[in-house]
Amino acid sequence: MATETNADVVIVGTGIVGCLIAQQMLDSGLSVLMLEAGPRVDRWRIVENFRNLPPGLRLHFDAPYPPKPWAPHMESYSDAAAAEYLQLEGPNARAYRQGYVRYAGGATRHWAGICWRLTPEDMRLKSLYGVARDWDLDYSALEPYYTRAEYAIGVCGPSDPALQWPPIRSKRYPMGPLPFGPGEQRFTDAAARLGLKNVPAAQARNSRIAYDGRPPCCGNNNCIPVCPIAAKYDAATALPKIEAKGGRILANAVAYRVETGQKNAIEAVHYFDSDKHSHRVIGKIFVLACNGIETPKLLLLSKDERNPKGVANSSDQVGRNMMDQPKLVAELILAEPMWTGVGPVQGSSIMQTSQGEFRSKHGGALFRFNNLARGAFGGVAAVRQGLVGKALDAEIRRLSACTAELTIEHELIPDPNNRLTLSNKKDWLGINKPNIYYDVGDYVRRSAKEYSVPLVRKLAAELGATDVQVSTEFTNSDHIMGGTIMGADSAASVVDIDCRAHDHHNLFLPGGGAMTTGGCGNSTLTMAALALKAADAIATQMKSS
Amino acid sequence: MSYLYRDDAPVDFNLFRRKILIGGGLVLGGLATAPIVPTVAANTSASDFPNQFMELSSLLIAHRLNHDVGLRLAAALRMKDTAFPAHVSGLIEIAKNKNAKIVEDFFADVPGGPLRDTALLIISAWYLGVIVDEPGAEVFAYELALMYQPTRDVMTIPTYAISGPNGWTSEGRPLANMPDF
Repeated sequence: MATETNADVVIVGTGIVGCLIAQQMLDSGLSVLMLEAGPRVDRWRIVENFRNLPPGLRLHFDAPYPPKPWAPHMESYSDAAAAEYLQLEGPNARAYRQGYVRYAGGATRHWAGICWRLTPEDMRLKSLYGVARDWDLDYSALEPYYTRAEYAIGVCGPSDPALQWPPIRSKRYPMGPLPFGPGEQRFTDAAARLGLKNVPAAQARNSRIAYDGRPPCCGNNNCIPVCPIAAKYDAATALPKIEAKGGRILANAVAYRVETGQKNAIEAVHYFDSDKHSHRVIGKIFVLACNGIETPKLLLLSKDERNPKGVANSSDQVGRNMMDQPKLVAELILAEPMWTGVGPVQGSSIMQTSQGEFRSKHGGALFRFNNLARGAFGGVAAVRQGLVGKALDAEIRRLSACTAELTIEHELIPDPNNRLTLSNKKDWLGINKPNIYYDVGDYVRRSAKEYSVPLVRKLAAELGATDVQVSTEFTNSDHIMGGTIMGADSAASVVDIDCRAHDHHNLFLPGGGAMTTGGCGNSTLTMAALALKAADAIATQMKSS
Repeated sequence: MSYLYRDDAPVDFNLFRRKILIGGGLVLGGLATAPIVPTVAANTSASDFPNQFMELSSLLIAHRLNHDVGLRLAAALRMKDTAFPAHVSGLIEIAKNKNAKIVEDFFADVPGGPLRDTALLIISAWYLGVIVDEPGAEVFAYELALMYQPTRDVMTIPTYAISGPNGWTSEGRPLANMPDF
């Protein structure tokens, strides 16, 4: 049984990665202690926080999660607020304004729930297209973990292989697909006329049935920033299950140093509580699953005599290769109603456009119809026109129904210059803030110019758009990857294929940071699969020791 | 487990939107220390003002208006601007002179300036559910905000599902079918 200072397995972070590992460790008979920097807040409070936001803030997905002073995260409501925590620089600094929240349950609390897998080709960019790196793990080795992850968190998706992405699966999804709303169907039909297939997304949302103690989705259209009924998986739903199995969870416990000892093994993690008191936690295995920014930050903060560049950083790769899927958005005005807001906020994508021989020259791209209800958008825009009476109502209905957003997410390749370092600026606890240099690179810029933007304009025209505005500045997708990159070569990577640090046999760094490349889709299912692979390795290691 | 490591107990959580002005006499939350009845225009008594506000609101907006939301808006708008009651009276007078039943009957006669601004502010508040749309602003209505109602036959008001498990379809509706609200 874990205490507040000692466990077999100490896990820093209570997001999807930490929680999946915690559950498996407990099932294996190991004791687990979890440290969470942020607060642990009930779902109803987040829902009420959301409903009590003024309309202009309801699209700021971090807004219902106000940060605690000791656990700051980026607040997006203004440029000045956004600049407080994440220190960003470089040609595309704006595109790394990552919206994770430091709350128990982590960023899955406000994710859309989309669960794309990588394809075999996504994992072999170097050998197939001569760019980036190959994974030292192939799709067939990862596939069983993808399946386990889908069953662990409850993923729905189509049983027809023609609608699956990729259609290389050992087992069907645990639940069938969710229906499309009218906008998503129109987008699907328009894409088909251009020879493109908009496929139902694999989603961690319960379809038709309850799953794992959570109810079926009933279309609250609020997956981002919080599912009010937990029909969408988020790691907050795992916390009571972990406690029921004997796991200990300490919220408001901010890890700030990883301590090494003999043979460079990890001996302890030190954390501050919300009163700035320091505590030391010991264990046999340590898992840092604080997300792709906070994990490399913690490793760099922990440099010592044995590890002068930071823990796990003999390769000098910690904090490098920071990735995401740089996003562009097309705003459409249509002659006929498209209608959003029916069903979940996201439910499908065009994925075939992520693949092709062109990847030797530029990245692939994913195209998605955003299904967020646009009633508030139409309402605010119409009211600002100064309309009254029936004209006001008609304009709200028109602007809400006859406008749409198409999102493009681009494939970015790892670049060691895209780097997280420690800023000289300190947070409330006196901990260095993360500083990130970010340039999406020519691979992405060429994709946008020659491939994705022309294609999104064709899609808009096929939808009958009378006006199309495509954003010119890349923005974040919140899919943080690369900062503790995986590889077999310990001189060029941070973790091995089990997410074990090359430099420390009892330190695991699973999650997005370990991903060698990221493809075009949301990274979460791959993170979950890597978490389960790491969990197997930890259990084996503990048995052998 | 000590409280230091848990904060999911329901204590001291402030539900601004649910704190209701009761009959014009009690305001909670951020308004609690402010005077309930500020300077009132010469021809508007304090007790009449909520009714006048609702009367004008009904002339400006031809939909069913929630009385509790209206009382809260009236109190907040009056505190924001001491001239507000006079503008409300002025707008009612214009409407009466035109024998107006709906906003289209008299809005063209409202002169530009404070009176027109007041009319648009009242409409905006009912539709958006806020008096100002900026960080930290108090929300007077969410699911009752009128901006959500012209599309409520199709679109979900986020967090308030209108169907059930897999109960929605790809069927849209014509723009002309304005819901009754």
